[in-house]
Amino acid sequence: MTTATDLGAHPANRQGVTSRRFLSRLEPYFYASPAIVLLVTVMMVPLVVGLTYTVRDIRILNPFSGGYVGFAHFEAVWHDQNFHNALFNTFWWTVTSLFFQFFLGLTLALLLNRTFPGRRIIQSLVFLPWAVPAFLSGLNWAWMFNPVISPLPHWLFALGILSEPTNILSDPDLAMWGPIVANIWFGIPFFAITLLAALQSIPGEIYEAASIDGASRRQQFVSITLPFLAPTIAITLMLRTIWIANFADLIIVMTNGGPADSTQIVSSYIFTQAFRRLDFGYASAIAAVLLVLLLAYAVSIIFIRRSLLRET
Amino acid sequence: MKKLLATSLVATAIAGPAVAETNLQLVEVITSPERTKVLQGIVSEFEAENPGTKVEIISLPWGQAFEKFATMVSAGQTPDVVEMPDTWAALYANNGALESLEPYLTSWDGTDKLNARTIEMARSGTGTAYMLPYGFYLRAMFYNKKLFKEAGVEKPPVTLDDFREAAEKVSALPGKYGFCLRGGSGGLNGWAVFGATTAGTDQFFDEEGNSIMSTEAWIKGAQFMVDLYQDGLAPKDSLNWGFNEIVAGFYSGTCAMLDQDPDALIGIAQRMDPNDFGVTTMPKGPNGKAYPTIGYAGWSMFSDSEHKDASWKLIAKLQSRDANLEWSKRVGTLPIYKDAESDPHYNTPQFAGWFEELSDPDVHPLTMPTHLEEFAFFKDSMSIRTSQEALLGRKSAEELGKEWGDYLSAAQKKWLAKQ
Repeated sequence: MTTATDLGAHPANRQGVTSRRFLSRLEPYFYASPAIVLLVTVMMVPLVVGLTYTVRDIRILNPFSGGYVGFAHFEAVWHDQNFHNALFNTFWWTVTSLFFQFFLGLTLALLLNRTFPGRRIIQSLVFLPWAVPAFLSGLNWAWMFNPVISPLPHWLFALGILSEPTNILSDPDLAMWGPIVANIWFGIPFFAITLLAALQSIPGEIYEAASIDGASRRQQFVSITLPFLAPTIAITLMLRTIWIANFADLIIVMTNGGPADSTQIVSSYIFTQAFRRLDFGYASAIAAVLLVLLLAYAVSIIFIRRSLLRET
Repeated sequence: MKKLLATSLVATAIAGPAVAETNLQLVEVITSPERTKVLQGIVSEFEAENPGTKVEIISLPWGQAFEKFATMVSAGQTPDVVEMPDTWAALYANNGALESLEPYLTSWDGTDKLNARTIEMARSGTGTAYMLPYGFYLRAMFYNKKLFKEAGVEKPPVTLDDFREAAEKVSALPGKYGFCLRGGSGGLNGWAVFGATTAGTDQFFDEEGNSIMSTEAWIKGAQFMVDLYQDGLAPKDSLNWGFNEIVAGFYSGTCAMLDQDPDALIGIAQRMDPNDFGVTTMPKGPNGKAYPTIGYAGWSMFSDSEHKDASWKLIAKLQSRDANLEWSKRVGTLPIYKDAESDPHYNTPQFAGWFEELSDPDVHPLTMPTHLEEFAFFKDSMSIRTSQEALLGRKSAEELGKEWGDYLSAAQKKWLAKQ
């Protein structure tokens, strides 16, 4: 009887335990699945559909289009002087905007990191540009560069920066600075807010210890502040680079890529091909090229970041 | 039982009118709040005259109308009646989206009262009326009488040489320029006018489909434009000027001459004394003829409309004389009716300039090649970029003419192959 009971209990127990373990191992996937399904549906499906367009002749309004064309679109991109011009402009637009956004944002974060009367109010006001819709920012800045409406061109002339109080958006050599200035204004708060959060997470004791040891302000900044900010800086620079490279809103509103395509960037060029020329196949091919370039950039940054962390 | 029968009869009676109701969808695309109000007024009258018919107006903002409407159509959400700019008509007609209005025009009593340009333009490109114009934007030359006097220009220019000479004299005044050049959005028409004027033809293609833009005679017109800009006869900023900027440039007295359509008169008349400016025919070329562009918008019916007769009635109402004149005044077009000149609004020296141009036998209005599917992209994107390159000297007038000619020749030959 005792033996029989023991033998009977074991199999049942083992099955139950196995089942339970299996379920508990799957549990996190079950909880995460709604978000995963949503992401796949909203992002991956359009991406795949878009990629299929790159090998097809998709022209909106033409019911007979849609045939397979192989890599004809990519070959066209390769030979497209307008695309190369847009690529160069994208580089200029991204690097210049990023440079000033980052340094002005960091400066702002450092200023807000110290206590002074009214800091909270000023902090709220300073972050307002981030909340303004890009379209509205673009319209306002376009008007600010118009000498008939705004004093800005006249001030620039008075300061000797411009030889005449003209609209720089009409000058192909200067037009890109219009959207860049607007983008700098728009993006400073992003860096300020993220870097401020990172600054506030640095323990105060380290600075106190450094002061006791006689470290100067500059030494403290270089040896304590920057190393602690480095991971945040790497991530925000990567994210912001990708966002700026894709950010056609300001350019389309302010200059529409002109004059003479001097401010055309790849993302606004994609918009032109898709919705002006109505050639979704070619537009998708250009978009795919931009995707590959940005993915390569992101992978590079992640690799560099890991190397730096490993060295530390 | 009797109550049940009575209830059924009442229900049937109530349902009757509801079943007969017709719902039409009307899309406007060159939208502003003021004109939507006028449109709503005409539609309300239409609904009152046609009990049981309801019209829903969809207003697309002009800046994105092309994209939004294209997306609507490709999604299968086609309206019954749509405002159809000339630059879009070929795109939709060539894809079989629009209903031919020829049968309706044949039996409409308004057809005989329209001026010759209206029917001519309705059939432009395709030979079939897929849209009925509601008014014309005919290019004419505005000139500033005060600046002319100041600069010693005695009469409005008649020829290209007169025009160039007047521009030079005005540009000699400090801070003033002869011509309000439209170097930005919408500037293609200016190039087309000067090119056609030097080439002496209102045709864009020969019989084989080759574009005249590649010819030496047309390129002289492009060179004329380039020289105006590079010689400082137009403001430096005008490289990027669109409609608002050139009109402001004219009424602010910055530049003395403006080639524009009658819709510019609305803004100018509000800010200038009528005695200070005039309107005249566009300058004539070596062959003594002028080639102003003529643009227009109108109303079209979609071929998959389920209420074609009601849709035509709506178009006929929109195009009735009273409605058309009211609409034309609001949107700034020249009306489609022969007797429009007798209306008080149009009986002015400025409009006389237009009607004179419209009836001048030496004036051959240019119709842009809007029958080509590729034209919309050419006009709104390609021509702006490349013409700016020419004005800046990065591209010669010859290179510009050849590039445009090659693009349009390919499109025309493709179109011819389909006929």
